Amino acid sequence: MKRAVVLLAATALLGTACARRKAAAPAAVPAPAAATPVPPDPSYAVRMGEHVWGHYCQTCHGETGAGDGFNAFNLDPHPRDLSDPEFQKKKSDADLREAVTRGGAGVGLSSLMPPWGRTLSPREVEQVILFIRSLKKSAASTS
Amino acid sequence: MPIRRIFAVTSLLFLLVLAVSPAKNAFRSYRAFQRRFATLGASRARSAKEIRAYKDSPVAIRQIWMRDFADRVDRCETCHLGVADPVMAGAPAPFGLHTSTVHTPSGFDRIGCTSCHGGQGLATSQEEAHGTAKEAGPPMTPASYIEAGCGRCHSGESLAGAPRLSRGRALVARAGCFACHTVRGQERFRSEAPPLNAISAKTGGAVVRKWLKGPKAADPNATMPDFQLADADVEALTNALFARPVPETLARAVRDAEAEPPGNVANGKKIFSESRCISCHTVEGKGHGSAPELSKVASQATRGWLLAFLRDPHAFNPRTPMPRYGFAAAESRDVVAFLEDQMRDFDAPKDVLEPVHVSQPLAEKGEELFRQYGCFSCHGPFAGPGGEKFGPSLDGVGDKRAASLDFGKRTDLPRTLPAWVAAKLEAPRSFAPGLKMPAFGLSPEDSRAVVTAVLALGAEPVPEAFRHAPARPAAVLPGGEVGALIDRYRCLSCHEIGDRGGDISTAPLAFEGSKVKRDWLVDYLVLSFTIRPILEERMPIFRMSREEATKLADAIEGFWLDPAIADDPFAGRPAADADTGEGQRLFVALGCRGCHIIGASGGYYGPPLTDASKRLKPGWIYTWLKGPQRWRADVRCPDYGLRETDALRLTAYLGTLKSGPEAKKEGAK
Repeated sequence: MKRAVVLLAATALLGTACARRKAAAPAAVPAPAAATPVPPDPSYAVRMGEHVWGHYCQTCHGETGAGDGFNAFNLDPHPRDLSDPEFQKKKSDADLREAVTRGGAGVGLSSLMPPWGRTLSPREVEQVILFIRSLKKSAASTS
Repeated sequence: MPIRRIFAVTSLLFLLVLAVSPAKNAFRSYRAFQRRFATLGASRARSAKEIRAYKDSPVAIRQIWMRDFADRVDRCETCHLGVADPVMAGAPAPFGLHTSTVHTPSGFDRIGCTSCHGGQGLATSQEEAHGTAKEAGPPMTPASYIEAGCGRCHSGESLAGAPRLSRGRALVARAGCFACHTVRGQERFRSEAPPLNAISAKTGGAVVRKWLKGPKAADPNATMPDFQLADADVEALTNALFARPVPETLARAVRDAEAEPPGNVANGKKIFSESRCISCHTVEGKGHGSAPELSKVASQATRGWLLAFLRDPHAFNPRTPMPRYGFAAAESRDVVAFLEDQMRDFDAPKDVLEPVHVSQPLAEKGEELFRQYGCFSCHGPFAGPGGEKFGPSLDGVGDKRAASLDFGKRTDLPRTLPAWVAAKLEAPRSFAPGLKMPAFGLSPEDSRAVVTAVLALGAEPVPEAFRHAPARPAAVLPGGEVGALIDRYRCLSCHEIGDRGGDISTAPLAFEGSKVKRDWLVDYLVLSFTIRPILEERMPIFRMSREEATKLADAIEGFWLDPAIADDPFAGRPAADADTGEGQRLFVALGCRGCHIIGASGGYYGPPLTDASKRLKPGWIYTWLKGPQRWRADVRCPDYGLRETDALRLTAYLGTLKSGPEAKKEGAK
């Protein structure tokens, strides 16, 4: 009886040890950890989107997409709040793509939003849409 | 008999050994990946034909052989089967579609995988290919630093598809890394740091000590890194700097200025704001920040030095980006009076500008330290051409194997190259005692950017056909009087001309003569105002004489031209193309006023157009409207894809815009 218990314990131990080793095996390339805690790093595509946003969109739409950019108060109508979860839910990526490439006038809105389809590449448009989508998440996580 | 038996046994053994190799191949991990991919593909496929294609694709090694890219072979697609397959968008690793970039999916065959991602292209197991196995070659570049791959082929500071690399390269240039470290292609780099030959005429011991203890704490805009000096070393270096003889011309200029009567604070304040000092400097953090913070400058430099420097900064530092303003003697006195009155540290002790009573032995020790820490790399005196640099060469650092790096005391670090580089930047002295590299105090994002730029420094240049330099035409700069004026007013500190110049201004000057009208330009150079009101960095009023302005404007008019721009875009076109009413209607319909002010309304992202006809040439307006990105790819004015007729009508309308004399005064503020 005693022997059986010991045997059982031993197999259980062995089992967990194996399981742990499996869990510890790297699933992907380990990210290099710096000495200090570093904020999470967005993907390349989102970074590119943020770059495009910062260069072309931010002056009117604001850093967080709230429609409060430096030039926003010269515009009537004001740019809308793109970080609003309601807006984000209502508009599909295709809607956003349409508005960015064809401009406000192209989708029946204010012509003060220019068409970017000939200035930004299709890839840049997709990247900036990805970034706009990331604005929603940050809005949701802060609220 | 025994011989036969031995023969039989060895034959059997031999057969067994022979069988191992195909058996080993049958159990290779990629085979399982390929079978899983076939199932996944079949489940995602949109037609019976596609399903069959996934099911029928043979299990085999797949590779890209790049004959003209140093004969590289990348077998990554053996497992990453969906990289170029749109059906696999969003599929789990390793089967997903590759992120869309300039080179993917179109460039796989030419560029392959490892040229950007690093790692071992020939390997067919995950651990070996990714470089995580013990004996594997250099590992893949982690995703955070992936833009280092762009930098292997693309030289030049700014690269559209690589914002992090571009930022890293800009930071490296600003931090002056190449002053100490040799890097291929950067042999001519020179720091803008001042020569330290007039310290005792400029400032006091307390200021220098504070600076040496931590330049960023003394001035947030400081580019000088923190050398983490002990108090004794700070004292020795301070003594050394105060012991240096000041060149007689500078000493006299400072002495004479010190003896001048005080100036007028109110007038100084006005001139200070007209001179747009914050286009480079900051005042309490407001401004561009490429030059020192000024809010405490009168407690950091003596009145005599400020006055003498303001009158001729180039005499003190020939490499400074600061222009030599055309202030009259009294005007510069007024500016300094304003600085003395308001731009001072009111908490500073009275003796903050007291010079140091030099101790000769300390000064000698300080000069020794000056050599030991390589201070001369930025401050001079410089080694001649081809002279040895103070720090080790950084060529090839991006290809170093982690095993060859000296981690020293840093047992806490992951044994990877990026972690090593990041730690070298963050805490360079933490690896071993006696190291000399200073700390740069980078934010996490800036650190990622600089590590990216450093990892881009490969051991071997890529083949010629893959090297890509930015297509900027060589700068054409006139000599003679006009060249001297361009040097005096340091136009290139802010403006880009061809492959030279800074980017503080958004307006490159290489085709300025085709853009603006000469008479407007003369007035503008004499009494500059901001063209883009949204920018904090504005063109200063240099207090240039009208004669100088005319010389510059004439040179620009005749010299910096775009030959493709017609003088008269309306030539040979029907009269209806010059319909200004239609042009005005277009201006409204397209929403141009979202960015451009006309009269009292409009946005101020772009230049106001109230005086468009006085400023711009019609040929330029027309060519701009046809494609604003023609001269600079990152121009923010969108390309509306205008028809010829519409572009001409808008040009005609803008050609009518002219304000009265009152509005002009308003603009000059």
